[in-house]
Amino acid sequence: MNEVLFFIAGPLAVIAALGVVVLRNPFYAVLSLVAHLLSLAALFLLLYAPFVAVVQVMVYVGAVMVLYVFVNAYVGGATDATGGPAPTLRWLSYAIGIGVLATVVVATLGSSLKAIDSDGAKIGADFGSPGQIGELLLTRFLLPFEAASFLLLVAAVGAVVLARRRRGVLPGEDRMIAALDLLAPTGTGSMREGVGAVNPVPGALSAHITPSTGAGSPPASGTRGDIDGEDD
Amino acid sequence: MSLTPAPIAEVGFYEPWWMQIVKTLVIFGIGFSLVPLALLYERKLLGRFQNRPGPNRVGPFGTLQPMADIFKLVTKEQFKPRGSIGWLFILSPLLAMVAALATFALVPFSGRPQDIFGTPVGLYGLDSSIGLLIFFAFSSIGAYGVLLGGWSSGSKYSFLGAMRGAAQLISYEVSQGLALLGIVMTAGTLSLSGIVEHQSGMWFILPQVVGAFIFFVATLAEINRTPFDLLEADSELVAGYMTEYGGGRFALYYVAEYVHLVMAGAMFATLFLGGWQLPFGIDPPGWIDPIVVLAKTALIVTLIVWIRASLPKVRYDQLMSFGWKVLLPLATLNALVTAVILVVTDK
Repeated sequence: MNEVLFFIAGPLAVIAALGVVVLRNPFYAVLSLVAHLLSLAALFLLLYAPFVAVVQVMVYVGAVMVLYVFVNAYVGGATDATGGPAPTLRWLSYAIGIGVLATVVVATLGSSLKAIDSDGAKIGADFGSPGQIGELLLTRFLLPFEAASFLLLVAAVGAVVLARRRRGVLPGEDRMIAALDLLAPTGTGSMREGVGAVNPVPGALSAHITPSTGAGSPPASGTRGDIDGEDD
Repeated sequence: MSLTPAPIAEVGFYEPWWMQIVKTLVIFGIGFSLVPLALLYERKLLGRFQNRPGPNRVGPFGTLQPMADIFKLVTKEQFKPRGSIGWLFILSPLLAMVAALATFALVPFSGRPQDIFGTPVGLYGLDSSIGLLIFFAFSSIGAYGVLLGGWSSGSKYSFLGAMRGAAQLISYEVSQGLALLGIVMTAGTLSLSGIVEHQSGMWFILPQVVGAFIFFVATLAEINRTPFDLLEADSELVAGYMTEYGGGRFALYYVAEYVHLVMAGAMFATLFLGGWQLPFGIDPPGWIDPIVVLAKTALIVTLIVWIRASLPKVRYDQLMSFGWKVLLPLATLNALVTAVILVVTDK
């Protein structure tokens, strides 16, 4: 049973990982990564790590990759926007790839190949249980754990800073986006906008509509009167 | 190559291998046959809520209506839009249905092994020490059914529905998980039958009423029910991610939806309503246990249908701000308060 699972999940993981790099369409590359992560989860099950396997599916397949698919479906196209890498970059990437492969192969041959005919490491009864992993994370690996969470926090804050709009939305508008704009977003089709109480252009909160408002505002009532009235 | 007996995911099996295969088939069969029942129940109930009889033509009291529906869908032509991506278009509904049905194996229907043909059988598909996490893993795989189905249809309505779906499912999954942290900390286990056993004194709905509320609301969003049915949003997006689907493939999405409905009830009954336990120390014989679970499930399903009959849809921005600005902080606070209380009252 274990062997069957391994020889399904192992090659699938390798093929899917190759697909991530080889496939031209970014959407399929992402799907390939999903398949890779799922096969990795199956391999984790074989390694007596059910918790890691399930968390792998929950976090990577269920949350991270859904975001990748989301972004790719929205902005990704089938075309290669960069027009392919520069020749030097291409050779450099080959060199680095081969170097990494050699390192992994040497490390594997040098260390873990000895264990191939043994029974494997001795493991306790509750090996890989949530309790044991939690205990290890909060005692022996506390520092790396905290460092990783801090890194994630920095990345999240950085993303927010990068994504924030510094200036107003309309051309020529030079206004910081206030926190209030985000708490009560405009341009969402609310009743207040429907009756014309607010300008539905995002970022221009509570700018009252007057016939002379700039681009983006709906035609004011005065204009409509001109259309069905007599021509001048 | 002689490893110690390999328990994948530390599963409490009582049965020989043939019984596990039988159990698999039975769970699959029960899961599948609950779909027409739930379908009929919802349509009948919605009819009564709207002061009309509901389906009453096919069979006695309209009881064969779901069979007629399913027969119609299955015998229809399987068409595929020209702009669709073939294999993804076919795979997605299957993915949605399999992920939905697989969660059914996690519901524990009884605490003690029942004697069936002289073999003790545990009335669940899988009693893992991390059952709750497996439930979330399957529900996140189910999200791909929606996402890929909408994307591969090659239609803007499907696409918009799928994108809404991705955002909604991710947002509410966080609150759904955090809401359960309270009961996981109290019970001290992630095993579903362990959680039920811990409720023998008091059901978790009483001490964890906030968690129950958050979980219920987030589940409504996760299983795409009113007032959070923005993935379909028939008033705006035709039918959302399943606009381009028809016939048998549409039926698969439909099956997934009703399995989700039943599963939402079963999970809530298991986590907050004490599963197979009865209140006031009543201890019925073992064969009553599954009936108790199903009765509690039906109660929650009724509540969900009631909500569908009563509430309008929320707007998309309301959905997002409610999820991130109300439910998530509330769920975090609930987990925090529970943790503090647990530490303070620690024996």
